[in-house]
Amino acid sequence: MFPLNEVRFPVISKVLGWVFAPIVFALAFLVPLIAQSLTALDVSIAGIPNIVIGLIVGGGLGLMAHFRGSWIWVK
Amino acid sequence: MGQVMQDINWDEMTDEQLDVMERKIAARYMKIFPLGIIIWGFANTLIWLSLWPLVFMDILSLWIAFPIAVLNVTLAYLPSHDAQHSIIARKGQKLRWLNELLGHVSLIPFVAPFRYLRYTHFEHHNHANDPVLDPDFDVHAKDRAEFFKQAILSRQPANGTKKDRYVEALERTGNSHVMLEAALIRVSYMLILYGLAWSGYAIEAALLWWLPLQLAQVYIPYYLSWKPHHPAEEMGRYRDTASFKSHLGNIGSSGMQYHVVHHLYPRIPLMHTPAAFRELRPILLARGCDLRGL
Repeated sequence: MFPLNEVRFPVISKVLGWVFAPIVFALAFLVPLIAQSLTALDVSIAGIPNIVIGLIVGGGLGLMAHFRGSWIWVK
Repeated sequence: MGQVMQDINWDEMTDEQLDVMERKIAARYMKIFPLGIIIWGFANTLIWLSLWPLVFMDILSLWIAFPIAVLNVTLAYLPSHDAQHSIIARKGQKLRWLNELLGHVSLIPFVAPFRYLRYTHFEHHNHANDPVLDPDFDVHAKDRAEFFKQAILSRQPANGTKKDRYVEALERTGNSHVMLEAALIRVSYMLILYGLAWSGYAIEAALLWWLPLQLAQVYIPYYLSWKPHHPAEEMGRYRDTASFKSHLGNIGSSGMQYHVVHHLYPRIPLMHTPAAFRELRPILLARGCDLRGL
């Protein structure tokens, strides 16, 4: 029998760790979500492209979640 | 039968007599074929899947699709729960394939692996309210406010590094192999979300899947785990689960008002637990179950 637990799980764990990392979630999901929401609401902040706003807000949240361990500050 | 049941003096019956009566009643319900939950499971997934093209093609407004998706994702767990207990068909029976198919398909909106849930759920049944061995024990909180606070805080990244009770239960029972399935399902979900978001469908992905899932992941532990086992201080066949009266009624609480019947006889189909409860009620009272006025 293939030693699944010993060989494959470390690889899976690494992939999981990467896919679920808060900063990856922020960049891959929150940034476009914020940018597209602003566009849908027809909101423009000081002429800055919405994707940049998304990057600032979403990236900021991702950094907070990464370093503090919480998306909402309290943990 | 009803009149006969009313005429019985339950307090004078011995434990053995109560046991015989209890099993006789339960056996009748366990024989019922759960057609309703089969239709529920497949239809629910189908409706949820159909929301995507309908929204993408502007046939259905996202604001109508969103509450439907919340319902779909929330309703996705229970059909698989009946399948986890092999209520549709046991191993070796003709319709076993349907049981397993329902288990897997109904969980698609809920992004959960069927076998992973089945094995950990069996451990919950075997050790309900055991602070060490019950995989669902972490859900317990002293009151409703504490439950919701815990539900939010436990989802923060800092708390994701704790050793998972579900993983421990799988290791303990020699079922760690299903973690691969669980990992693949979760990774696929995240990659689909990311792909949709960067293809210009972030709002659709958020309202049809991500947000409904966040809500369902609070609602389901609340009604299926916290409420019927609260305060989770006692163990034992007749004491680890209680019935309760929900503000949302039996349907609004996903049929969990009668969860005590499920823990006593897990093979009674969900949709028949209210009727089974009504028949078993005097026996449950005689056994010392906490029925909380139901």
